[in-house]
Amino acid sequence: MTSGRSIGAACLGASIVLSALGQLGMKAGMQNLKLARAGGEIAWSLASSPPLRDAVFFTAAGLVAYGLSLLAWLAVLVRYRLSYAYPLLALSYVLVYVGATHWPELAEAATPQRTIGTLLILAGVGLASLAGGRASR
Amino acid sequence: MSNLLLLLAVVLLSTSQVLQKVGAARRLAGKQKPSEWIAALFSPELLAAIACIVAGTALWLAVLYRMDVSRAFPFLSLTTVLVMAASRFLLDEPVEWHRWAGVVLIACGIALVAST
Repeated sequence: MTSGRSIGAACLGASIVLSALGQLGMKAGMQNLKLARAGGEIAWSLASSPPLRDAVFFTAAGLVAYGLSLLAWLAVLVRYRLSYAYPLLALSYVLVYVGATHWPELAEAATPQRTIGTLLILAGVGLASLAGGRASR
Repeated sequence: MSNLLLLLAVVLLSTSQVLQKVGAARRLAGKQKPSEWIAALFSPELLAAIACIVAGTALWLAVLYRMDVSRAFPFLSLTTVLVMAASRFLLDEPVEWHRWAGVVLIACGIALVAST
């Protein structure tokens, strides 16, 4: 298996990006659900309530991305030790933070504590994932 | 209420990770054909892992309904701590000291984000 290593890396990358997209999608979905409820717009017809329609769309898209990230993750688990691979998945914290604060749909506030905290988590991830970790069998 | 939901979701998602690893090692290792992978998805380990993911994700949506994702999501790295402990004590994987140091940094990061 000459390409085993690059397949593992590709699956790992896909899993990280898809899991971040999944989180942002699910949050956008819940945000719109809240909007729909606040406006008293919970109706049976999706067409008559744009927030409800968006809620369904974003939640579904988020769940699909999340599901795909889990499939890619299973392929990662075959190739790497869990204690090595799992912390790398936390790279998606940075992607979620940047997305949540920069995507107009969510427009969450970036605070110094959250920024430093997220960077600390990234440093922790780097340290926890340092060196080694190919599954030994 | 939000914090309790968050904690329950974290425990369920961590449990799923361990079950996925056990399932991958027992049922997926060395399998190449898609049909073999689909059959493996119906093994007890991976079915239980999927059940934990589904329940944990439903709780997670309830958390996201109540909280900024930039605040809630870092809490999910608690799963890193739980999974690291499970890797060491349940799966008998070797865990070097620098990985524990990383876990401590992650915990500090969570505490900082939690304070907002």
